[in-house]
Amino acid sequence: MEFKGYQRENSSYGIRNHVLVMCSVNCASGVVRAIERALPEIVPVINNYGCGSGGNDVTVMIRTLAGIANNPNVAAVLVIGLGCEGLGAERLANSIKEKPVECLLIQRDGGSAATTKKGIEVGRHFLSLARVQKRVPVPIAELVLGLECGGSDAFSGITANPAVGAAADLFIKEGATTILAETTEMIGTAHILKRRAATPGLGEQVEELVNNQEKRVRQALGERAGMVIAPGNIEGGLSSITEKSLGCIEKGGTTPINEIVGYAYQPSKHGLVIMDTPGYDIDSMAGLAAGGAHAILFTTGRGTPAGFPAVPVVKVCSNSTTFKNMPGDIDVNAGTIIDADKSIEQVGQEIYELTMRVANGELTCAEKNLSIPFNYLKQGPTF
Amino acid sequence: MKTNALRINPTDNVVIALQALKKGDMVILENEKSFEMLEDIQAGHKIALENIALSEKVYRYGEPIVEATRIINRGEWVHVHNTRPIPGDMTA
Repeated sequence: MEFKGYQRENSSYGIRNHVLVMCSVNCASGVVRAIERALPEIVPVINNYGCGSGGNDVTVMIRTLAGIANNPNVAAVLVIGLGCEGLGAERLANSIKEKPVECLLIQRDGGSAATTKKGIEVGRHFLSLARVQKRVPVPIAELVLGLECGGSDAFSGITANPAVGAAADLFIKEGATTILAETTEMIGTAHILKRRAATPGLGEQVEELVNNQEKRVRQALGERAGMVIAPGNIEGGLSSITEKSLGCIEKGGTTPINEIVGYAYQPSKHGLVIMDTPGYDIDSMAGLAAGGAHAILFTTGRGTPAGFPAVPVVKVCSNSTTFKNMPGDIDVNAGTIIDADKSIEQVGQEIYELTMRVANGELTCAEKNLSIPFNYLKQGPTF
Repeated sequence: MKTNALRINPTDNVVIALQALKKGDMVILENEKSFEMLEDIQAGHKIALENIALSEKVYRYGEPIVEATRIINRGEWVHVHNTRPIPGDMTA
């Protein structure tokens, strides 16, 4: 089985052919916005920091931004920098491999108006290159799918997450890769995940990963740590992080865990992989995108319209009320498992088929809505 | 009659209300005897399938998720007002 994708110089394949305009520091974001106004087809990626951060944060920042720029869905990248920022634009540009890259610096290139003018020329050129590229047949085994949940309710773990798990199993049967993330939402299930690891060594690693996250949460929140769930989750019926986590890991499906990677690193194995990301959706999606995810299967109970730059996000909601209340935001209604007699397997098949159509070019709701919130994990102070 | 609650795992002692239910409504499950709601409940929230003693664990997906902070009777709403996260769960 195959899809049709865009071939990159490094023999990876994208399901989109986006031109990114990315700033290495927020001071330069005005130029990115101006280029976006002139060329609405480009995808803006605004770095909210880029200066005043400590070493660890800079390492994560550059790995995430470069990872997203290197994502196979990206055809070309224009980096806009200021010239004096901590995260040098040229350092970022040099981390982007095997695709057309240009770098402009506002302080060197004549201020924001002149840099914008040059940037529009570069953007236009990159768009013209992308426009003529044709899709070619690609085996499904090349697909990397990120898994995410946001705004969970008590139904998420009965309908949407098991249905995504069923779809994940179908993709893995074809040799593809799925990435289960959001370590906070594995708290309370370390013993279950340990059982599911492909090797005892991996089992120890995943147990340690989840237990370390528990420790950090407990340190930060003390006695109340078990209640680390958003008010919307509690209103939706979830009583503890363990209950929520059990529902969350359902979306990983039933296959063994083959690898554990850190935040924004690319998996080297196929099958089910775990990435260490926070529960906060936007940061988590940034990790998945930097890890090379072609698309993200995103379950929601209460409803969230959030997409991500350059990576199609497929929204699966857990119940028909949310589906009706947020028309145009949700791609698949798994509430049919509750009120229309569909089975988890049937909805899983629906998700699989839609994701294949998305791989071949069909737009998700979030893409049609141009929803591209962007941020990434920042853990240290700002100076 | 159409089911209005769902049990996920045979060892679970709570079920999920599939729709809002009122005190006095019958809880209808597949393969279970129906029983009466002792209070109102929102869709998606948990209903005690059996009586749950003080400190007894509540099971969902076949795993313990919280423990009772008071006696809970069959047909009562089970949530943060009568349960708490299991203290041992958060010990790494």
